[in-house]
Amino acid sequence: MTISRRNLIKMGMAAGTALSMPSVLRAQTEPTAARTVRMAMGSDLTVFDPIFTTTDPTQIHGLAIYDTLFALDSALKPQPQMVGKWAVSDDKKTYTFELRDGLAWHDGSSVTAADCVASIRRWGQSGGQLLMERARDISKKDDKTFTIVFKEPLAILTDMLARIAAPGPFIMREKDAERPFTEKVTTNIGSGPLKFNESLMKSGSSYTYDRNEKYVPRSEPSNGLAGGKVVKVDRVIWENIADQQTSLAALQAGEIDFISNPPADLYSVIESDPNLALQVLNKSGDDFCLRMNFLQKPFDSVKARQAILHLLDQEAFLRVAAPDPRFGRPVTSIFGNSTPYSNDENTGWFRKGGDPERAKQLFQEAGYAGEKIVILDPTSWAAAHAASQLLAATLQKIGINAELAPSDWGGIVARRGNKGPVESGGWSIFITTDPDYVQGDPISAVFHNASGDKAWFGWPKNDEYEALRGKWADVGTLEERKALAREMQRVWWDFVGDVRLGQIVSPIARRKTLTGLIEVPGFLVPFWNLRKDVA
Amino acid sequence: MTAYILRRIVSTIAVMVMVGIFVFLLLRLAPGDPAAIIAGKSATAEMIAGIRERLGLNDPMPVQFIRWVGDMLSGDFGTSIFAGRPVLELIAQRLEPTISLSIVTMILSVTVGVSFGILAAWRAGGLVDRILTAFATLGFSVPVFVIGFFLIYLFAISAHWLPVQGYKPIGQGLGPWFVHLILPTLTLSLAYIAFIARIARASMLEVLSEDYMRTAAAKGASSYAMLFHHALKNAGAPILTVIGLSFAGLIGGVVITETVFNIPGVGRLVVDAINNRDYPIIQGVLILVSGLYVLINLAVDLSYTLVDPRIRY
Repeated sequence: MTISRRNLIKMGMAAGTALSMPSVLRAQTEPTAARTVRMAMGSDLTVFDPIFTTTDPTQIHGLAIYDTLFALDSALKPQPQMVGKWAVSDDKKTYTFELRDGLAWHDGSSVTAADCVASIRRWGQSGGQLLMERARDISKKDDKTFTIVFKEPLAILTDMLARIAAPGPFIMREKDAERPFTEKVTTNIGSGPLKFNESLMKSGSSYTYDRNEKYVPRSEPSNGLAGGKVVKVDRVIWENIADQQTSLAALQAGEIDFISNPPADLYSVIESDPNLALQVLNKSGDDFCLRMNFLQKPFDSVKARQAILHLLDQEAFLRVAAPDPRFGRPVTSIFGNSTPYSNDENTGWFRKGGDPERAKQLFQEAGYAGEKIVILDPTSWAAAHAASQLLAATLQKIGINAELAPSDWGGIVARRGNKGPVESGGWSIFITTDPDYVQGDPISAVFHNASGDKAWFGWPKNDEYEALRGKWADVGTLEERKALAREMQRVWWDFVGDVRLGQIVSPIARRKTLTGLIEVPGFLVPFWNLRKDVA
Repeated sequence: MTAYILRRIVSTIAVMVMVGIFVFLLLRLAPGDPAAIIAGKSATAEMIAGIRERLGLNDPMPVQFIRWVGDMLSGDFGTSIFAGRPVLELIAQRLEPTISLSIVTMILSVTVGVSFGILAAWRAGGLVDRILTAFATLGFSVPVFVIGFFLIYLFAISAHWLPVQGYKPIGQGLGPWFVHLILPTLTLSLAYIAFIARIARASMLEVLSEDYMRTAAAKGASSYAMLFHHALKNAGAPILTVIGLSFAGLIGGVVITETVFNIPGVGRLVVDAINNRDYPIIQGVLILVSGLYVLINLAVDLSYTLVDPRIRY
């Protein structure tokens, strides 16, 4: 064959067709870009079992593919979700739940009461310990009905079954939920509005969720996490883009539709782009908290803890952790700023600029003799890293022997479990966060526990406070709980279980063509109700 | 030659055993607890303890080491603590992007770098040499992420010619694969072009000043014959060494480029694993990369015989 111009053109066209075939075939089977939402979620999804871990990505994954018996509406009131009808006996000890019609697993089988019983029992080992302690019996009555019988009434049962705080009470298949909670469930078969597409999973890179066409949403309109979960796009793709600058560039170029946590220094860039918008989904944000080691000097002394409380200026911390004043404000209540139980009881310690002189005096009264105070400094977490540095400088300024112990987050979580003195690898202070709205649930909020050894890291101990906290589950009315909250807070700020540094709200960034994002407290991002307009 | 290759392979195994022991100890002695990370920020001590027990992290270090070595000898590199999938499967998933990026980068770097080096040496002291030397200095000095974001701004955000980020497997079409590799390759190549060009220039300059080159010129050899038949062959060994080392370094050193361009390669796998203290992945990747490094060095040593017949093993 001679190489003529005609043959050359033919060969070129054939080669071009052959090379483009894979993408052409794929394009024919994939949803269009307008029906696909790409979301940079700010972190990787490494664990798929939302009962096994408390990490944020896993809870978001759980919310997409699993369903819950109850769900919180936008006013944080529990509403039935998988449950159709429910009743409580006159003695308030027996709850009967009947599942609504149309619930099915992604493998096609029906959701049964046995699945719910097994799921509650598994969750009860990690997030629902109070429920398990109080329950006498959890059993199914028929395929759609099950009961929970308590030894004594538990007034907050539906709140617990709707809670957002991790680990959430997601309902799994009985055969999955029969595993111990320390063993991961890896099947990813839920009954939620989206199905996990395992075949398109690119570990460490992207995770694909397809609309569950067989999902039967509730008839009520979407309201917070409650109401009808209607999926309005065909596919949601979770993109794991490690670099925030790259995420923003991809958002600007239209390659992705959403960034969950744009850095504060890029807010102005986002706001100046006519195609992009900042939006606060989590209006209650996170509370920054300073945990002190109650077991070691000097914070085994209440005077030293009070010194920290009086010393710190929340507004100074907010300036370094959330430089944009629109997204940060002080928090003086241990019940946060956004919960119904937020109050001003015993908050006379709060003073703009702090009170260094009072702090010095209190450290003296505590018998402080120059002991080294080690502050765990998470260098890979910008806001907490900046806050730790400010804390060290503030302490050093009043003559305290404060020292930073820088480490990545992996190092921090290992060291914070060490109860020993600083000379043996222990610690004195670390800074962390917890969602503000969670502070309204003192039973499960880790910051609220003051039971010593069984408390969260720092191991605060106060019997009077714990006695009050123990009443929480049995108080029936909102007004009674508010009164109890004030009493608890009075005791807390006397013994200083921890110190709050401010409330920070983090907006998400999105292309303006993406709408329908549901505003939910905490870190959750529901994948239903999203709509993508053609640009 | 065969005896030499066998000796080198045996020494490779010894190196990998040492790397294994070193990596295992380094990871266990460094602060960090995968159970605490996997359990999450708000996990209780009971949750963390339960996970640690389940993962076997409470076992004494020698027991963990013997278990790991035993598994390795049977070809089992372990299972990721986080993903719960075999380490080899995870590495295999990430190899294609890294190898694609490395090979395309090396092809571009060698082609351009050697050409620049030859050109600069041929016109030593002239304008071309100065321009190329300045380019080489720039390539060395500017950090990879700066070049990356500059190219993204220019070609992806402003011109909309190329994608900002991501990777398309070659199985999804040659076109998308290549388009997604252009910016990362340009970014990564700059430093390697500069490096190879400088070595090639120095090596060529040395050869060009040899007596036999003067003789060739006196005999009326053409510039092409002098440069490519006489000089380049004799200057080849050091250039080959640099190319070999660069390629070996690329496999494990593309982390920043992979991060900037969101390429799910081996570099990002190992960085994520380090942050999570996912010991089996870190150990598996380091063992494989060190083995690869040694093998590439062996290949480079053997290739010397091709450019210089005087070299014998």
